[in-house]
Amino acid sequence: MEAARKTEILHGIVRKMMAGGADIQTSEWIDFVEAQNDGFRTGPEIGAKVPDFTLPDQSGRSRSLHDLTGPNGLLLVFSRSADW
Amino acid sequence: MKAHGINAASITYDSREILSNFSAAYKIEFPMLSDAGSKVIRAFGILNTNVPEDHKMMYGMPWPGEYLIAPDGTVLDKVFLRSYEHRAVASEVVLRHFDSTGANSVEINAGVLKATVALSTDRCFTGQELGLALEVRLDPGRHIYGKPLPANYQAVELTLESPLIATQSLELPAPTPLLLKALGETLPVYGSGFKAHGNVGIKWSPPMPAPFLLALGKTIEPGAYEIAGTLRFQACSDEVCEPPQAIKFVLPLTIEAGVPAAPKK
Repeated sequence: MEAARKTEILHGIVRKMMAGGADIQTSEWIDFVEAQNDGFRTGPEIGAKVPDFTLPDQSGRSRSLHDLTGPNGLLLVFSRSADW
Repeated sequence: MKAHGINAASITYDSREILSNFSAAYKIEFPMLSDAGSKVIRAFGILNTNVPEDHKMMYGMPWPGEYLIAPDGTVLDKVFLRSYEHRAVASEVVLRHFDSTGANSVEINAGVLKATVALSTDRCFTGQELGLALEVRLDPGRHIYGKPLPANYQAVELTLESPLIATQSLELPAPTPLLLKALGETLPVYGSGFKAHGNVGIKWSPPMPAPFLLALGKTIEPGAYEIAGTLRFQACSDEVCEPPQAIKFVLPLTIEAGVPAAPKK
């Protein structure tokens, strides 16, 4: 899918949602899902090392990859947002 | 997961305040990491580049997925599904790598063959992918067949049937060719037990009652369901060959209601 088309779809649907979403067509929603996921990438391959990082958690405590990991590993879930 | 020595953590681009609010509203016990600015999301190479930079709400979000990371930082497994409506349950990779029989299993006792069929969980949301495991134990001196096989034999086969299921797969180990002297044929067999893993994709159903979403598919109501399954096989020894069997079983699965966004402060 062309970049300009993706932009148009992603902005278009959000505009309609802000206005209540009553006139969103099913085909537009399918395009919206497709535009977000087109050519998606999945990051480090199995067997590769993940980049090291340190980030604050919900309580403000700084957490490194090392201190997050349990004795047998870490399930690290990347999600879109906890806000919407 | 704790019993297997695995910790869990999530990463989103949300501010610490949003995460603190969400975490309190849903009593989250695992670390929810704030990657405001999406630096780590970029470092992993999973920033959703389809979203234009001037998109205030969505820019900075990742393509959603999960990694099982070993203590030395190596990726043991990862699950990224075909669209954001479809996510894996956390127990899927646990079932695959830590040899658990899962939270939701049924025992099959068919004489010379005993088996355990397991789903990685007994509850999920619509659109989720669950782990599936099959463990077969065989009496000594028996074998069951694998594929490819002539039409008059039954290969071992596991099928689940439910209107909830969109996809299912099970990766069986490679069978061993065995010369069956009485038949004068060489056929692919399993001469001992094995374990196999796969997954089950639950259909996605619109979480909110918008007409344009309902047109995508019939809504799956939250509640208790039963997944019906059949294990087919044919057990033989060097002397005797039993007729093919189809053992029916049922696994419960609860579909959870969608979770609304945490109330704003």
